[in-house]
This record gives sequence, structure tokens and C-alpha cells, in this order.
Amino acid sequence: MKILIADDSRVMRQIVTRTLRQAGFDGHDLVEAQDGKQAFDMVQSEKPDLVISDWNMPEMTGVECLRQLRANGNNVRFGFVTSECTPEMMQQAEAAGAEFFIIKPFTAERFDEVFSPILG
Amino acid sequence: MSDVAALRVEDLQEIVEQVWSSYLDPEGIEPLLPVYDDIDGMKTDMHASVSITGTWHGHVVVACNEPAAKNCSAAFLAMEVDEVGEADMMDVLGELANIVGGNVKSMLPPGCFVSLPTVVTGEAPHYPSAEPVCQLAGTWMGDPFVITMWQSRGDGGEAA
Repeated sequence: MKILIADDSRVMRQIVTRTLRQAGFDGHDLVEAQDGKQAFDMVQSEKPDLVISDWNMPEMTGVECLRQLRANGNNVRFGFVTSECTPEMMQQAEAAGAEFFIIKPFTAERFDEVFSPILG
Repeated sequence: MSDVAALRVEDLQEIVEQVWSSYLDPEGIEPLLPVYDDIDGMKTDMHASVSITGTWHGHVVVACNEPAAKNCSAAFLAMEVDEVGEADMMDVLGELANIVGGNVKSMLPPGCFVSLPTVVTGEAPHYPSAEPVCQLAGTWMGDPFVITMWQSRGDGGEAA
């Protein structure tokens, strides 16, 4: 499966990658985007099966990226890994078509719980 | 003040414990040890912050010294301490401020926005129109870590 990790923080992209491995999800093809606009473009060019995205990013936020993808008819599986978690953000995420909402800091156990049904 | 008084040092402590157990101390052997006396005497020269705007205005600042930032970066990036460079420390501290600030936002009134993080070295940043309202200080592996919430004064700084 191809997974796009979108986060403006290099550290967090690295931690997401490592935590996926720690949670036992090895062998997937991982690609990275540094902001929401790049993530939007890479969903078209790279055709990932899953997008794990930060919320607050330069150029385009994660939820704007998701909304634009859906507006363009793209139904890639998409969810958020974010340090901000408010009821209104979770509602926005769900309304936009997000599949999961993981709060930073996260653990490998949390990744296992969320990604097992998706990545098998 | 009454609105922010809802955010207590215990809340910062809870956020910090989650960060430590997830990234800095997963084995539970090197916790952040609280310091209650002479916090002003704790020398920090690296400061990462995010600003919060909207229904509440202020800043969340994570401060430490270089050895602490190195240890922090090594843990975050799964590197050896002597492999850690300045860019690593800047990135890691920025992310730390982002995580703490994002979690703080969740405890504030709805309608707040968190900025992207900034990191400065040297003297602590000044916020002339703000005052510290909540602070958690401690040592980690013998080095200082201080997390402070600053609330802006005046109309814009008061929570709605």
C-alpha cells in the first residue's frame, strides 16, 4: 500500500514513519509532503492509498486539502494526526470525509488501533 | 483571568506526561522532575513557542538548555546524542511547542488558532503586552525544562 505522510515538521514525518514501523506496519511504500498544497498535488501524482495528514500546515491546511480532494472527486482514504483536538475540528474532519483523528502525542498502540483495520 | 485560571499547572503536567511517555521517556525511567523553588534561576537558552489567537490571545513557550535539547532530539529522532545537529534541535523543539500548544488550545474556549512554531536561541523572547499565567518547571536528566503560558493583556487578551 502506498501511504502519503503530510506534515510541515520533518521531525513529525519521521516519528509517524517510525511509529508505523513500531506498530508493525512494515513494507509499505511511504512518500512525504511538506504542506497541504504539496499533499494535494502528490495525491494526484503519486496516487497513494492512504493519506496521514497534519492539520495546521503552511500553504493549505490538512482539512482544506481534504475538502479540495473530495470536491475534485478524489476519495483517497484520509485522516489526521494533529496536536489540536477540539470538538469543532473533529466535526469538520468528519464532515470533510476523514476516516480517523489521531492526537499528538501518540503511541504505537494508538497507531495499531487505528491502522489495523485499514492496513491489515 | 478567570477563564484562563481554568487552565492549571496540573493540565500542563498532564500534557507533558503524555509527551514524555510517548516520545521522551517511553520506558518510564527518565521523567521530568518538577522544580518548585528558584525557577527564575533555571538557565534556559533555547525557546520554542507558538502563539494562540482568537477568543484567547497568548503564547505557549517551551524553554530548555542545549544539553536538554540534544537529549530531546536524540529521543525524538532515534539518534545518538552526538549525532544531533542544530537544525535537529530547532525542529524538535518547534514540534514540542506545537504539541504542547495544540493540546493547550483544546483546553481553551472554542475559536482559538495556533500559529506555526518559532524557535530562538539565546535570551528568552519578550512579550511586552503579555504576562505569564501558568508555568511548569522541571529538570529532565539534570537539565532544565520550563513550559510557560503567557496571556496577552488588554481587550484582545481576555478570553471571550
